Amino acid sequence: MPTGLDSLKHIVVLMMENRSFDHMLGSLTAVDPRIDGITDQLSNPDTTGGVVTPRPLAQFQGQLDPDPDHHFPAVDLQIFGGDTSPNRVANMQGFVKSYFNQQQDVGHSQKIMYYFAQSQLPVLTTLALEFAVFNRWFASIPGPTICNRAFAHYGTSFGRVDMNPIYVNEPFKNIYDRLINANPKHTAKVYYYDTTSSTMEVANLLQNEPELFGTYQQFLNDCSTGNLPDYSFIEPNYSDHDSDSGEEVANDQHPDHNIQAGELFIASVYSAIKQNATLWQSTALLVVYDEHGGIYDHVKPPACTPDQFTASANDTGAGQPFAFDRLGVRVPAILISPWIPKGTVVDGRVFDHASIPATITKFFLGDYSPRSPREKSADVFIEPNGPAVDPARNLLSLAAMRNDCPDFDV
Amino acid sequence: MTLIHVPRPDVKSAMDSDRPVNALLKAQIQHLRDAERNLPLRYRTDIYVNAIKTEGEAADYIRLVTTAIHEAHEAAAANRGRGIAIAAAAAARPSRKGARASGGKKKSTVKRGRKT
Repeated sequence: MPTGLDSLKHIVVLMMENRSFDHMLGSLTAVDPRIDGITDQLSNPDTTGGVVTPRPLAQFQGQLDPDPDHHFPAVDLQIFGGDTSPNRVANMQGFVKSYFNQQQDVGHSQKIMYYFAQSQLPVLTTLALEFAVFNRWFASIPGPTICNRAFAHYGTSFGRVDMNPIYVNEPFKNIYDRLINANPKHTAKVYYYDTTSSTMEVANLLQNEPELFGTYQQFLNDCSTGNLPDYSFIEPNYSDHDSDSGEEVANDQHPDHNIQAGELFIASVYSAIKQNATLWQSTALLVVYDEHGGIYDHVKPPACTPDQFTASANDTGAGQPFAFDRLGVRVPAILISPWIPKGTVVDGRVFDHASIPATITKFFLGDYSPRSPREKSADVFIEPNGPAVDPARNLLSLAAMRNDCPDFDV
Repeated sequence: MTLIHVPRPDVKSAMDSDRPVNALLKAQIQHLRDAERNLPLRYRTDIYVNAIKTEGEAADYIRLVTTAIHEAHEAAAANRGRGIAIAAAAAARPSRKGARASGGKKKSTVKRGRKT
């Protein structure tokens, strides 16, 4: 049995907000050509017919204001460039046009093509180069936050493509209930940053099962005391607010929140795990973004297994229904573990947020039903541990744990 | 082992609790408003959510309702526990003709929520 998988006891998922792969990690193609990021072949037209190329001019804050539109109709424009014909093909040519629609300012609309230089994001880029970066991890839906985060919890959004509350009325249980009600029982927790930031999973989890939640401070305590659950899902701080300990700067990286605060937060999560040696060797951490936030990415989202739901044309607002048969725009995703070879680039496999409950379920519970069609067909980022593990798919493949993993001065 | 320096944001320039709420926070407020409607009356706020315009105001509301949801569940759990204890005590008591079915009224141990 592979040593890494045999050692694995905890899986932690940190889901950040609203940044595309090219925007955050596109610079890394210059460092490692296997990483599918920014090249000089990429561009978008602006509304004057000018050609806009990606440039490493992204700023930590104050640049993407107003918040780029990432609701379903806007993302449809971004992906298809405004083509609404029946046999249209994704071309990723509508990002500048979409941002122009918000302010009618040609110069400002071009900023949607900006990306970060590697040196600006020392945490995210270091983790991507040190562990496993996914070339094809997409948002689950070409739409906004709530429906995309639902895929991470339930493996479906129950037919929703918007920000309205999603009430579970189908037989697909959330991943936490699957775990805590299993036999043998597993443990699971959602850690929101603090009570003031709270969670995006209000309608079902917080409202009905608040005992599933802890604060980020509790996560830190659970790491240091070795009491981390089998599965943890971490939410960042979604707002600038005052707290008992002082001013809390939003660290979710949602535009126009500060990017460096998010970098610090990611480093803090990583360090909390790494500082407990027992935990470090038995934990895998996935850092992933919920959706692209309207920001440019060049990879065309692929088709996928349709879910059993259809959003009507009225619900999508894009003039046509949606059968959940195509993924959203690509987002950054990095899997971290001392059992992963340095410089792993996961290529040729497609993941989305349904891969999260799919992986957790298969790893901890094995066969489980019922699950949504999308979750059943989603690839897993950690192989179920057993004699039939495919070495070519197992990312925690080292025979011995690494002792050269980086530290951050948090 | 490499030690990577993580630059800190300038809190003074990064922090803006007067920033208008974004679509995400608006949705979160709406979800909490819906959840609040399901709470017992004594846990509900009297905040008019359509008047929330800034992140600071949103944060205040989110904290109040998140706390209230936890308190309401804790109170309900305490009530459930008390019901089970009473039932267990009743079942354990030997049957005696003419005996009172229960003792005097006990002081409630239910944690009271905030009244607003």
